[in-house]
Amino acid sequence: MTGELFFKVVMGTIGMAIFAILLGLSFKGIDRKIAAHMQSRVGPPLRQPFWDVGKLLIKDSVVPKNAVSWLFNFAPVICLASSITLLLYIPIAGYGPLLQGHGDLILILYLLTIPALSMVAGGFASGSPYATVGAQREMVTMMSYEFPLAVAAISIAWKMSDAFKGDVFTLSFISSHPIWNNVGLLGIIGLLFLLLAVVIILPAELSKIPFDVAEAETEIAGGLLVEYSGRNLALFYLADGVKTFALSSLVVAIFFPYNISQFFALGSIPAFIIDFLFFLLKVSLVMLFAVTLVRVGVARLRITQVVSTYWIAVTLMALLGLVLLMWDSQILTIRWW
Amino acid sequence: MLETTGGYWSPIVWIVAFIVAFLMAYIMWGMGEKKHAKGEQEKPFLSGQDEPSKEAVHVRAGNIYWGFTETLSGYYDFMKKIHTGIINDYVLWFLGMAAIFFLAIVLPGVIM
Repeated sequence: MTGELFFKVVMGTIGMAIFAILLGLSFKGIDRKIAAHMQSRVGPPLRQPFWDVGKLLIKDSVVPKNAVSWLFNFAPVICLASSITLLLYIPIAGYGPLLQGHGDLILILYLLTIPALSMVAGGFASGSPYATVGAQREMVTMMSYEFPLAVAAISIAWKMSDAFKGDVFTLSFISSHPIWNNVGLLGIIGLLFLLLAVVIILPAELSKIPFDVAEAETEIAGGLLVEYSGRNLALFYLADGVKTFALSSLVVAIFFPYNISQFFALGSIPAFIIDFLFFLLKVSLVMLFAVTLVRVGVARLRITQVVSTYWIAVTLMALLGLVLLMWDSQILTIRWW
Repeated sequence: MLETTGGYWSPIVWIVAFIVAFLMAYIMWGMGEKKHAKGEQEKPFLSGQDEPSKEAVHVRAGNIYWGFTETLSGYYDFMKKIHTGIINDYVLWFLGMAAIFFLAIVLPGVIM
């Protein structure tokens, strides 16, 4: 590793961590406000998540007597750190990822498992029966959504490889060649299935209703987070915000990598500002539809329903998307424009 | 850099980034309150009930994936049923599958 790359990685990670935490908490505030309005409540102010973190940091951080304390304390730190590194591989506002050329889409799929696994480790380390059940459920949920997620990612990379030559597994390549422009009618329908599959996977990745069986406050009192408080809970809270922003950005990079600055005759800085604001709008809309609307509109599923949803409905949806994408170029090409 | 025909990643770059992110998270964690009350608060929360013995609440390895095995119980029951432990059954399965592969893959190739 050259000194220049080392400097870029270090400074980039610090910058991205600050950026991700600020935006993650802001999006949490927006999510809570919109959810409250949907339920005819006023809701907390947008800056409430910042206050929550501040408050948690000054609260007692109780470590249960029978917990594996080092693992219990390290799990939230690893969860937040791995969530931040995830963002380094995702394009932001139409610009390539910070670590462009050092990791691809497959790496992102693997990195996505680390925050969830650290929560599982923390849950098992808690020494609480509720947390153990929550950790067990988190593992089962992960096993359920990983396959359709992998199918969706591979389908898109395969379609890109069919249409272009290049690093088709890199997000910078995928986002610079919007996939909707390169498919016919069947491909569009296939992509809609894949988009729907990914949008259904999003709440499970983020442990949100209806797939929040691992936490299930009314049933297992918070599940794998039941014993967490103070600074440990603050870090999980921050990681949740960062992960929400990262996953919404990932969906934007794959499915909606469009910018609007080219429609205006703007200099480079105003163009960047316009594109960045448009990117934030897209991320907000993804979050609104995949997280906020869903969590307000539906009830929690049972763990067996979560598994059947992902292993049967969502997997079939993703496979159908893959088949339609294949048919699009190999059997029947209908240009929709 | 580790490369396959389709993708690549650099473990060293990720490790450096992870260490930096870890240090930042650790500093934030270190800024939080370190002390906590001892005694009653250190007991796991169990809705006010007494904590059962570890043996009573231990989740056995076979039950860790309960939600998964319960949902797919039809599949698992079928798989258990065909795993009889009798070598004759396994040889029959092997011959049956070999025949299917022959009819589906080899024979069409030979005919064409």
